[in-house]
Amino acid sequence: MALPSIRFERRLVPDRRLNSAVSISSILLGLGSTVPLFLVAGVDPVAAFQQVFSVFTTTQGVTEAVTRSIPIILIAVGLCLPFKMGFWNIGGEGQLFMGGVAATLMVLMFPDSPSIIIIPLMILFAFLAGGIWGVIPAFLKARLQVNEVLTTLMMNFIAILWVDFLVYGPWRDPQGYGFPLTVMFPLEARLPMIPGIRIHSGLLIAIASAILVYFVLSFSRWGYEIKVAGQSQSAAKYAGMSYILLTLLAMFLSGGFSGLAGMTLVSGIVMRLRHGISPGYGYTAIIVAWLARLNPIGALVAGLLFGGLLVSGDALQIGLGLAFSTVLVFQGLILLFVVGADVITQYRITVSLR
Amino acid sequence: MQPSPIIKMEQVVKRFPGALAVDHVDFEVGRGEVHALLGENGAGKTTLMNVLYGIHRPDSGKIFVNGREVSIRSPKDAITLRIGMVHQNFRLVESHTVCENILLGLKNLPTILKLKTAEKEIEELSKQYDLPVDPRARIWQLSMGERQRVEILKILYRGADILILDEPTSVLTPLESKHLFDFLRKMAAEGKSVIFITHKLDEVMAVSDRATVLRAGRVVGKVATSTTSKPDLATLMVGRKVLFTYERRGEASASPVLEVRDLQVLNDKGLPALKGTSLTVHAHEILGIAGVAGNGQKELAESITGLRDVSSGQVIIEGNNVSGRNAKYMIEHGVAYVPEDRINVGAPQSLSIAENLVLRTYRYEPFSKGLLLEKREIGSNAEKLISEFNIVTSSRDAITRTLSGGNLQKLILARELSGRPKLIVALYPTRGVDVGATEYVRELLLKQREGGAGILLISEDLEEILSLSDRIAVLYEGQIMGVIPAESANMEELGLMMGGALKKAA
Amino acid sequence: MTAIDTAFAVSLLAHAIQAGTPLLLATVGEIYSERSGVLNLGLEGIMIMGALTAFLVSFRTGDIALAIVAAAIVGALLSLIHAFLSITLKANQIVSGLAISIFGLGVSGFLGRPLIGQIATKLQSTPIPLLQDIPVLGPILFSGDVLIYFSVIVSLVLWFVLFRTRFGLNIRSVGENPSMADSLGVNVDLTRYVCVLVGGALGGLGGAYLSIVYTPLWIEGMTAGRGWIAIALTIFAVWNPLGAILGAYLFGGVIALQFRLQAIGIGTETPQLLLMLPYFVTIGTLVLMSSATLRKRVGVPAALGNPYVRGE
Repeated sequence: MALPSIRFERRLVPDRRLNSAVSISSILLGLGSTVPLFLVAGVDPVAAFQQVFSVFTTTQGVTEAVTRSIPIILIAVGLCLPFKMGFWNIGGEGQLFMGGVAATLMVLMFPDSPSIIIIPLMILFAFLAGGIWGVIPAFLKARLQVNEVLTTLMMNFIAILWVDFLVYGPWRDPQGYGFPLTVMFPLEARLPMIPGIRIHSGLLIAIASAILVYFVLSFSRWGYEIKVAGQSQSAAKYAGMSYILLTLLAMFLSGGFSGLAGMTLVSGIVMRLRHGISPGYGYTAIIVAWLARLNPIGALVAGLLFGGLLVSGDALQIGLGLAFSTVLVFQGLILLFVVGADVITQYRITVSLR
Repeated sequence: MQPSPIIKMEQVVKRFPGALAVDHVDFEVGRGEVHALLGENGAGKTTLMNVLYGIHRPDSGKIFVNGREVSIRSPKDAITLRIGMVHQNFRLVESHTVCENILLGLKNLPTILKLKTAEKEIEELSKQYDLPVDPRARIWQLSMGERQRVEILKILYRGADILILDEPTSVLTPLESKHLFDFLRKMAAEGKSVIFITHKLDEVMAVSDRATVLRAGRVVGKVATSTTSKPDLATLMVGRKVLFTYERRGEASASPVLEVRDLQVLNDKGLPALKGTSLTVHAHEILGIAGVAGNGQKELAESITGLRDVSSGQVIIEGNNVSGRNAKYMIEHGVAYVPEDRINVGAPQSLSIAENLVLRTYRYEPFSKGLLLEKREIGSNAEKLISEFNIVTSSRDAITRTLSGGNLQKLILARELSGRPKLIVALYPTRGVDVGATEYVRELLLKQREGGAGILLISEDLEEILSLSDRIAVLYEGQIMGVIPAESANMEELGLMMGGALKKAA
Repeated sequence: MTAIDTAFAVSLLAHAIQAGTPLLLATVGEIYSERSGVLNLGLEGIMIMGALTAFLVSFRTGDIALAIVAAAIVGALLSLIHAFLSITLKANQIVSGLAISIFGLGVSGFLGRPLIGQIATKLQSTPIPLLQDIPVLGPILFSGDVLIYFSVIVSLVLWFVLFRTRFGLNIRSVGENPSMADSLGVNVDLTRYVCVLVGGALGGLGGAYLSIVYTPLWIEGMTAGRGWIAIALTIFAVWNPLGAILGAYLFGGVIALQFRLQAIGIGTETPQLLLMLPYFVTIGTLVLMSSATLRKRVGVPAALGNPYVRGE
């Protein structure tokens, strides 16, 4: 029987140009594959894509896109660290919510503080809370070999339910007509707008974080250690590094950046804590980090694109009456193509007939 | 002597990239015979048997089973020919029961398993051959000896007449070994044939009828056990080699760099690997550790370099007890280590060559300042070492994966030797390295010795040990069988020690 | 116990079984996938697509049987993508699974938009004659619908297949030690494909149960995280279909209890804490499983999440 036999041979050297080509074509293929779906639903694909691209052509659209991309960038930048070590942090979403909780706690505890005090406090504690939420699964993995994919995933749901508990229960605004919301943050506890544009200053934090992480990974001793540990645990040990400490630190920072994302949401956009402050930024960030091949600057770019995609969801909803979840179709398809195409970047594939 | 052998291999050749593993071997086993296949590491014993079992295809040569020429393409074919093999690493699913492991992959297995019947059959089989094991037990609950019994039962259950066992006693206690030998004799008495691969001379003498001795892929002797002796076998096994002599300049100093006292260390499976090992290495000296791999070599190297926990005993470097210290401490105290696994340990493959050249020194000046790496220093360090050590590469920023085996080893040596180490632990430094690079590696070690370093050279290549070392210690089952000066070493004595048949007071 | 108490308990338990059924189907499916070594995080997407398909077919044709079959097929097709990516293309299973979930949630929302608020034909219950008349037990166990009975039977059958047949032995070996299974002549890729597809079909059925029985109308995102709970229950059930029955009904009980308590005004403040329970239990189970001995005792698939490349 002549069955085609496929051989997989690991590539010796990663091909950078191939990698970017794969990322870009995945985006195009992902978007393109929605055409049949639009046709099935009786939607004119041309009109749909016009709506999508309209986001990137108006000031308002771009402003909105950038605003939406802030939490995505923050989380994705942080994810570069544990992902480089082969630690699969799926918990960005939960770490974000815990950051939001900590930031809100600061406001509730010190409602009358001036900006100069309350904003740094919120940033610090959001980072800490997200970081701690991230360190728990890292500890379980490093000491007990507990699968981090499942623990980080489960901890997302716990964090989300915890926020629900708070806003339905002890933190509910008594004047909120029974809605599950905390009180509105005072002006002092809101992230100021960047002068001249209608985007809050979380953007600066996000950009600074991307640059910082890029520098850490490329130029610091610690970035080098992450690179070695991500390759081989025994090589790290041979080089005199502590693998456990590295894991904990990577996850503390990753969780911290996600917590920061939560802070920018409650303090820059929602101005309070409520149910569903994030429509899944933590998961979108995984796509972004993957698409950027764990390069923080790449995550900045891809994050902006995905922020735009989210806004296009609104445009499709308003313009064509489509569901917002159309965005998820884009996201899912792009990710499927990226993941599938990975085989091309990692292996040289030969098909032969026997 | 034996009428029509049950197995006959004629002029079998098996080539691997860069190595001739089996070189025109003729091999035969008779019915009702226990046949020992004796040789050092790398002699080609396991490869030859893997050919017979269908894991490797021979490049040329013929195989006859029961006088009929056969082509064995896979273990399945071998099983059909009633040949079974117990590998050194057991192939068992740990969470499955004994019974399930025996049934897995069986031809004609019914869709719905008849576990009760199978269990009963296995129980009977185990009683018949006196291989006690509970068919309902799960593998992870069993001792190594019991697991071996499961592997043997797996073969017997498939109706094998020819058993191949690869170093079967390496995981057994002495009592278990004795039990195994009784079983092997019983099999032979029933007319089945047993081939067992070993490097232990006592075992050959104790259990086999005949032995075939391999060296460097070639048959160097076929003997009937009753007409041979351990010294004869030892000489055959290690051979009389033409020695390349290297010039060794400078006398070993009197002060020890490394003292190991009564060291006890466990292996990865939690079993004792070093059982009270003691040795001394002086400055200006190479101490060669001879012995067959798997007798505690890796554990010895790792416990001296801070990569493995010490259960008891002491590692003393320049008079300070450093046992229990981590790798970082050892690096800081001048202990260089050339590890066995160059790809996963010695030089992570996706790093650039420049990055790998500072793998163990990146955290110190001048390669780091504060928290930042000094890329320029790392780069010029790489330029310097690449030219000094003749590492053939397109650039210092090339990915390590692109280096050839010899150049990879040069990279590791360049890094380890450039820091003027006091003690160098080299584990199989020339294994799998081409001839030119091998020569170069040896010269480097000699130069370090001349410069005053103490070197612990662990190798399975006796020629290398003999030509480089000042003194030679033989490691067997986690113990030093004796230490002899290289000048007065004789092959017979070394062979006996490596085979565990001779122990000299240190 | 007064009559009212009994009636309350009976309706609570019947509700628990209803609420647990979609979880049971999805969990048993995931168990098959994971036992063969493939982690399928796409379950949430597969369930919601199953829910949409069943609702759409039932809404358009009124043919409930067709709706159920279609949901299973769509679930299997979606898992086929995951199988192709993770088995044939050796892709990262975690990311591939997440992509499937995101994609499924997206497509169901997109295609389901016109269906919001519509009502489809509901699968009617089929009480079992005689058995349904047993006091207390009858109304709880024997007055359900076909899918309830099917889910229990399929769990039992799949338990039997996994632990008592040649195919089951192959599945467990492939999930434990694929290279060894391969050397013994077991077709690793084929075994994994079959298991992932079975898992997807059952996930699709679980979704169908939600949209044509449990809440027979279309609500966007109506699985509400049940796919993730099923993944948690897989661990709670220690990869055993019988454990899945227990776990699914226990959690179904938590859901039912929460509804009842809310109805009578207790616990309205804090149902969230109760709902966190399965996740805590999962993490606890995972921590327990970290003991190597226990892992082997229950047979945690050792090769879970690792693509198999011959000779690597």
